[in-house]
Amino acid sequence: MPEFRVMKARGGYQVQLKGKPSLAVEVLPEQGTLFLPLKSRRFTFSALCVEEGARVHAGQILAKDPQNYSVPLLAPRAGNVRLGAAEGHIVLEDVAALGEEPEHPLEQDLHIPKEMGSVGMKRYKLLMLGAWEFLQDAHTGDLPDPFGTPRAVVVSTVDREPFVARGDVQMHKRLNAFTRGLEQLQSLLEYQPIYVVMPESESEFALRLRDLLRGYVWVQVVPIPLRYGPDRTAVVARRLGLKPQAGQPVWSLGVQGVLAIDRALTLSRPCDVRIVSVGGPAVKAPAHLRAFPGYPLSTILDSRGVCAPARVINGGAFTGRPVGAQQIGLDVECTGLTVLPEHRERELLGFARPHWNRRSYSKCFLSALRPAFEERFTTALRGELRACVSCGLCEEVCPARIVPYLIHKRLYADAVEEAEAAGLHMCVRCGLCSFVCPSKIELREQFVEAQEMIRIELQTEKAQA
Amino acid sequence: MKWLLAALERARPSFEEGGKLRALKRVFDATESFLFSPPDTAQAAPYVRDPLDVKRFMSVAIVSLLPCTAAALYFFGLRVLAIIAVSYAVGGTVEVLFAVVRKEPINEGFLVTGLIFPLVMPPAIRLWMVGVGVAFGVLVGKELFGGTGRNLFNPALVGRCFLAIGYPVAMSAAWIKPGGGVLGRVMQYVGAAQADAITSATPLVAAKQQTWASLQDLFLGRVAGSIGETSALAILVGGTFLLATGVANWRTVAGVLISFGLGQAVLHRVDPGAFGPALWHLCAGGLLFGAFFMATDPVTSPSMSGAKWAYGAIIGIVTVLIRNLTGYVEGVMFAILLGNICAPLLDEIVIRARMRAYR
Repeated sequence: MPEFRVMKARGGYQVQLKGKPSLAVEVLPEQGTLFLPLKSRRFTFSALCVEEGARVHAGQILAKDPQNYSVPLLAPRAGNVRLGAAEGHIVLEDVAALGEEPEHPLEQDLHIPKEMGSVGMKRYKLLMLGAWEFLQDAHTGDLPDPFGTPRAVVVSTVDREPFVARGDVQMHKRLNAFTRGLEQLQSLLEYQPIYVVMPESESEFALRLRDLLRGYVWVQVVPIPLRYGPDRTAVVARRLGLKPQAGQPVWSLGVQGVLAIDRALTLSRPCDVRIVSVGGPAVKAPAHLRAFPGYPLSTILDSRGVCAPARVINGGAFTGRPVGAQQIGLDVECTGLTVLPEHRERELLGFARPHWNRRSYSKCFLSALRPAFEERFTTALRGELRACVSCGLCEEVCPARIVPYLIHKRLYADAVEEAEAAGLHMCVRCGLCSFVCPSKIELREQFVEAQEMIRIELQTEKAQA
Repeated sequence: MKWLLAALERARPSFEEGGKLRALKRVFDATESFLFSPPDTAQAAPYVRDPLDVKRFMSVAIVSLLPCTAAALYFFGLRVLAIIAVSYAVGGTVEVLFAVVRKEPINEGFLVTGLIFPLVMPPAIRLWMVGVGVAFGVLVGKELFGGTGRNLFNPALVGRCFLAIGYPVAMSAAWIKPGGGVLGRVMQYVGAAQADAITSATPLVAAKQQTWASLQDLFLGRVAGSIGETSALAILVGGTFLLATGVANWRTVAGVLISFGLGQAVLHRVDPGAFGPALWHLCAGGLLFGAFFMATDPVTSPSMSGAKWAYGAIIGIVTVLIRNLTGYVEGVMFAILLGNICAPLLDEIVIRARMRAYR
């Protein structure tokens, strides 16, 4: 099997956040009522496919996102539809527990057009059974065209962001399904390579997986260091020489995606199961949970115990979004809930204290003499907004090898084109620059806004042309 | 300290819009921010943040200057404290005035400038000159450019340059003979009035007349010179701390010292009679102080690693040239200011090279 030599990856940092989810996966009990959010990070399921009061079966399409190749919102269980019961949600009442109602033969619902050919039929099946939602463009994070051709596929088994569901936890006891999923993935492609990103460590699990993949000549293993930053798929894609090219996307997906492909194509079953991590310093019993979209968030959080006041982040602490007051159920893209204590304490003359208990990327605290330890981070900004002092920490930590402070200065001067020339488009939105910035400049937010602005402008230009 | 926090909360309304003391809002904010960590929380991802802030960053720089300050107190006496007090008072006033007028927060950057500036002054300098110099440095060197983080030149060096050009005689004849013994001049206040303690011969001036101070005296600091620059030992202690914490970049320091050492060694080899040995010159004058504490100012030095080497090399070589081949005995100040001018250009060259690799 051809292997990539572990390359020295620049940048990145492993934040030692307390509340790491345990490796065990707990199964959540069935619920009588489910709340399926109509919005998630990428999707807005605005085209409803069911009527008020209708009885739906498990796997039935409830709504579709017309802006994203009509990806469906599936009913994870059989139940009665309530449309206006909770704003922004489809509520399923009188939900039948798994196995309570006879399984509905889904093949009948799919209506796969025969002229699609075998690969087209498989891709259509992935789309309709909710597996396509697990894929994204490695560079932009968008949903790729289900009928497009990728240049390569990057399968990542590593996500070091604190905290999202870990790849090894998801694969646990499902290694065969994972390799079968890779085979199914390969059957969708022509000759394009599949890169499986793995930790460079020699853990027992990593060795087992490598052994399993040894026979797959079309799979190339890419070992990466166990740090947050170099594990971003856009960084990996660039490292592999797969720069962004119009019309030739690089698909990326995680372990859940591969397992979903296996479930959809091998078992012809809808992808309703998710492994979600619940972690963070405000969680009393951090764990991985087996849940499904629509599961009430309050039930999930109560089951783990949360210290108030806390902020619940949908996703990891670096790239996630706070769970809004309106969101009641787990959305279709959630991979983790990170719960952070809300900051309240104010420290007297904190800047002058040696701080043996503060973990910092810099070496400006006495704790630099200690081995790595987990810190009870809160939502505190930990400083005041100041002008950039060009300390260079953001450049040092950036896994994309761009110079964030330079882009910031150019954006500050409204020089968007110059910011683009300085590599704004290469920002992978990991948030490490904002994390380390002593001037507390919201670099990530600025870059995300600028990228979105450029994107809208390009779309407008394209539409006008 | 809840009572202090409560007292601040009680006083806050007077400084807010509509309050009697609203003009001093920035001063209130600065006091609050000096005393207590801010209550703000992260409103955008990432929702956790590193504990390092600008205050901490600047405090590390101040701590690194303490060995030099202590050595200065030992060698030149209590007057050092008076000079530091004047520097902080006058420079701080300029900083506060600009913050109030511009309606921007008072910046912590001044706390470092306010200490570095006295350390590059001759110890017997008149106190009003210190005030004029620091006011000029902060005003022209920093505030006119938009404040900390936006300045092109090191403000302390701008102030010193102004005094060196405006008052050349006073600046070159205000040296004090260093104290010795157990207490040195710690208990003395030596000023221009004590004529017996005043000298005009720093090691570099004496070297022009072929009188070479011993390397041991240079290393320990038992020589005349600017307040904080005489003791190589104290500078190395503070400088090592600064490098170890990462606040100063080692590439800049290495660039300055290596290029200077090589340049001086070459000249010494060419004409040992006219040009002093490299090690002696490394310890003499303000080179070490400049290399560790002034050239490394992150705002006015380049930010790209490759550019830092070139920047350091420019400072080192220019210092060698000025010290040995011009009428000036010292060249570090002009060399660093010249380096500051080149810094954006050096950054641009390195950045463009990297941009090409991106495409």
